[in-house]
Amino acid sequence: MKNVIEALSHWELLEIEKPARYLGGEVNQAAAKESPALRTCLVFPDLYELGMSNLALKIFYESLNQRPDIVAERAFSPWPDFESLLRRRGLPLYGLESGMPLKDFDVIFVTLPYEMTFTNVLNILDLAGLPLAWKNRNDGPIVIAGGPSASNPLPVAKFMDAVLIGDGEEAIIEICDSLIASKRAGASRSETRQALTKVEGLWVPEFPGRVKRRVFKGFSQSQPPLKPVVPNVQAIHNRAPLEIFRGCMKGCRFCNAGFFYRPKRERPVEDLVKYAGDLLQSTGEESLGLLSLSTSDYNRLEDLIRSLDKAKLYPEQSVSIPSMRMNDNTIALLDATPHIRKGGLTFAPEAGTQRLRNVINKNVTEEDIISVMKATGGSDYRTVKLYFMMGLPFETDEDIHGIVDLVKRLEAIGKTTKPRKQISISLSGFVPKPFTPFQWSEQASMSELRRKRQIVCRGLERGSSRVSWREEFLCLLESVLSRGDERVGELIESAFRNGCKFDGWHEFFSKEKWEKAFADTGIMAENYLRARPLEEQLPWDFIDFQVPRAYLENEYRLAEQAAGEQA
Amino acid sequence: MNSETNQSRPEVKVRVEYSKTCQARYIAHLDTIDVICKALRRLQLPYAVTQGCHVRPKISFGPPLPLGHASYCEYFVLTLTEAVDSQTLQVSLNRELPSGMRVISITNPYVEARSGNFGEKLHYRFSFTSAEVAETAQQWLLNPETAFSAESKGKTRTYMIKSAVLGASIAKNDSLILEADFIQGQADVPSVSKIVTALAGFLDTRKDCLRLIERVSLSELQQKQEIPAN
Repeated sequence: MKNVIEALSHWELLEIEKPARYLGGEVNQAAAKESPALRTCLVFPDLYELGMSNLALKIFYESLNQRPDIVAERAFSPWPDFESLLRRRGLPLYGLESGMPLKDFDVIFVTLPYEMTFTNVLNILDLAGLPLAWKNRNDGPIVIAGGPSASNPLPVAKFMDAVLIGDGEEAIIEICDSLIASKRAGASRSETRQALTKVEGLWVPEFPGRVKRRVFKGFSQSQPPLKPVVPNVQAIHNRAPLEIFRGCMKGCRFCNAGFFYRPKRERPVEDLVKYAGDLLQSTGEESLGLLSLSTSDYNRLEDLIRSLDKAKLYPEQSVSIPSMRMNDNTIALLDATPHIRKGGLTFAPEAGTQRLRNVINKNVTEEDIISVMKATGGSDYRTVKLYFMMGLPFETDEDIHGIVDLVKRLEAIGKTTKPRKQISISLSGFVPKPFTPFQWSEQASMSELRRKRQIVCRGLERGSSRVSWREEFLCLLESVLSRGDERVGELIESAFRNGCKFDGWHEFFSKEKWEKAFADTGIMAENYLRARPLEEQLPWDFIDFQVPRAYLENEYRLAEQAAGEQA
Repeated sequence: MNSETNQSRPEVKVRVEYSKTCQARYIAHLDTIDVICKALRRLQLPYAVTQGCHVRPKISFGPPLPLGHASYCEYFVLTLTEAVDSQTLQVSLNRELPSGMRVISITNPYVEARSGNFGEKLHYRFSFTSAEVAETAQQWLLNPETAFSAESKGKTRTYMIKSAVLGASIAKNDSLILEADFIQGQADVPSVSKIVTALAGFLDTRKDCLRLIERVSLSELQQKQEIPAN
């Protein structure tokens, strides 16, 4: 079958929700090429609307399609209604641009944005008609994963021919060149994989060895994707994304992204203003999203915002800044620029007391938060959202009561401001991640997380804030999946065979199916949740993360000291 | 073509008629509006904008096209702050629309007729793979007793289709084509979308023989249309 889309009837398409997700044909979609040297498919293991907002997908789609000898298509996880249709009809998953089955591509690049997509990856391989384990794939595409959740590649090692650790911009081109050379030379599958070991940052399970995290040093001078595909179904982030800098040097000890994307690399204001114009002109998006891990840490933010304000292309153009570390100056700056979207303010104090914020190295003080809350009086912001974690290392009940106290103080200020502020609290269990100073820490148990959550909920039940929280079991599962070894691959496969998919969606997540997978595989979650001594060899120590282990150990000790000195 | 808000400038309206076929017919109505607004922004047309908190292009759309129906008579009316050349606008808009959407004609300037809100008259073409099923569908549409139930505002209602069907005939030169005229947009008159869904339900397993549904023409009714007795 050459084009799966053509095999779908009108009435079948009408049975499913938003059929335009599965049909391609969007503005800026790459044109077909005659006999390319390499056919690649970029796979995002979640719904179209989420995948079309993913920056990595846009970067790789544009850079690969700029090569005359490479074709890059897209594929996303089908929603269960469409999956049922495909399975009922015996049709394989396909690339949106040509309708070509995934198994006919030369390579599939899978983005792993979060651990809860792992079962979706297996579902995609299965829907493509490919064996799940790389050892059983004797033909068909080479499958390569990358992204923040692949920083420890061991849990997905069973399924991937290779895993990229770090930035992908240069590596993906080198991978394609290697695959083209192997294809031309008629190399065997094993020879093809062996050749891939020469690409810096790429770890090949068949030929395991030390690997160095790939860093894209030319980021600052590089051109971002300027002609991304404009979705035909509104994406979750309906904006033109512009990455203004990569990396973060704040050194929050819990933050995997902070270490994964190091070092901090900024694009110059002048370039960004030009890119913004080109991007808006090619997409027609109403809003420009200034992306980074913490946009207020951009060195020339004021210059940038004022320059963008002067260079507006159309009257309704706005700027959205999703990751702002707020202070009085930023509020004043944002208020002075009317075209910035003022949906709501978001803070991530993460911990309820200054002691614990010092432990986790979160450089936000209570005074900062309170003064910003006061400064919002008279501004357009109506909602304030606060993110807190529970189960952090060295946490005590006093820290949990601290969350309640802080929120109550903010509620009191919110009542006096005009317009009045609606405060929302989001609680989540802390998950220790590899390559962070807390990679040795214990994962708090479900009962502990639940007990702490109840302290916060009871403390705030008479207040005006809305409290939401993340299911405790999800935190434990994420902990196993992110700090796992190769055996965790069996767990993921077993969960998939039990019917798990879309685990990040509460309407689909099934605790029972995952518990059954633990029972069936005999994998003890406790082995992965326990605290580990600093001297213990960690499964992912074979990766040179370009952040020395000694540095992480020292940071852990500093956290310990901060907890001890001030407790 | 830069668009700046300027209230002192005289406003010009243009009516853009476009087709929506192939895979574009599966783009939902609200997403279609979004797709068109993005195309207008990419062109940096000198369009007028609405006043208020959320500024948007001043644009109005024709009646929503049901998902999956192809059409050759969709339209929107756009308010501009300066005159533009129709030919240039058509060529440039066609460059910016997704696959399956195409501008057919532009009325420039467009003077809006007073709308009495009497709904619209629609001409549809149904393509079948079986002449027998086409004839069955014709009989169903023309039968004055044909009724069906459908959800409306959370309640189940029964509709008689005779209030909506003006006529239905098999094309003279092609027994696989059924042409039909409808009215919709009036009280107690079922929409074409509801009628087609009910027809598919009636055809049951034979519905796959109905392979293409096309809205061929649309005109606004200037007075309440009386349905001739079948």
